Amino acid sequence: MAGSGVPGGLNEGQMKLMQDLEVEVMADLFNRMTAVCHRKCVPTKYRDSELSKGESVCLDRCVAKYLDVHERIGQKLTNISQAEQEQMKSMMAAQQATP
Amino acid sequence: MCEDIGRYLRSIGAEATMISDIREAPGQHHYTSTDARVFESVYGLSLEKMDDVCKYMMLNPRRYRENIQVPTILTPPYIKTREEKMVQAFFESCPFKAGISGIAGFGLGGALGLFTSSVNPSITGAELKSQTAREVLVEMRTAMLQYAKNFGMIGLMFAGVECCIESYRAKDDLRNGTYAGAVTGGLIGLRAGVKAGLLGGAGFAVFSAAIEYYMRS
Repeated sequence: MAGSGVPGGLNEGQMKLMQDLEVEVMADLFNRMTAVCHRKCVPTKYRDSELSKGESVCLDRCVAKYLDVHERIGQKLTNISQAEQEQMKSMMAAQQATP
Repeated sequence: MCEDIGRYLRSIGAEATMISDIREAPGQHHYTSTDARVFESVYGLSLEKMDDVCKYMMLNPRRYRENIQVPTILTPPYIKTREEKMVQAFFESCPFKAGISGIAGFGLGGALGLFTSSVNPSITGAELKSQTAREVLVEMRTAMLQYAKNFGMIGLMFAGVECCIESYRAKDDLRNGTYAGAVTGGLIGLRAGVKAGLLGGAGFAVFSAAIEYYMRS
């Protein structure tokens, strides 16, 4: 599902706020992903400082799955919030209709 | 989605809470008009616009992404170039590893064949007195080639199978070598029948398990 285009009508401050938010979100995603995949894929017996082939394969798969899950849950959240927006609009319209 | 953004904002110290309690079950959020006004006054964006922006940032695959932000520690993060990654992938790939093991086995088998042919020659008896240097060298060459081919094949198969098993399991422990030894021994012994194949597989598996255990302890 393609997202909407560039949101129009945002001034400097709001754009900066959005960029800051996005940096925050991406950094958090990166940190969580590395923590989870490291815990799952790299056992704590350190015989060698290089990543072995099995561990590299495991990390590739872990990152792919994590990003896939992230994207799907994002879409689900979008759908839910869209439904709630519709509900809020109809409620506000009903409130204004009956003063 | 707005709730996630709200949680992030609150975690970095933003004061106003703009939505009702997050601990409510999903589907029970009721945004009143007061909530929406408070949100807009604090963040300067209506709820709808916030959702538009969130959608644009998270779900738009056509958006141009600059360099990925990676948290820095002491040194700046070194992200490998594409060529470096290709070279590294080639040197870690299964065919390359199997080939290198095959070549090493070939060399080792040649050395062993040379040694064996010198202490255990196949020319005996009456011909021993009249053998020429050329005959001795030819005999050494055939023995060397024979051993080299066998060892090379064993090395190639073992390393190839072990690499494939490790890629499939995505784990790094000594069972990879054991399974690879079982497969290699089975394939070699299969030339002499099924029973010999099973026995050879079991024996080779035990041998490679012992070697792996020794190398990992």
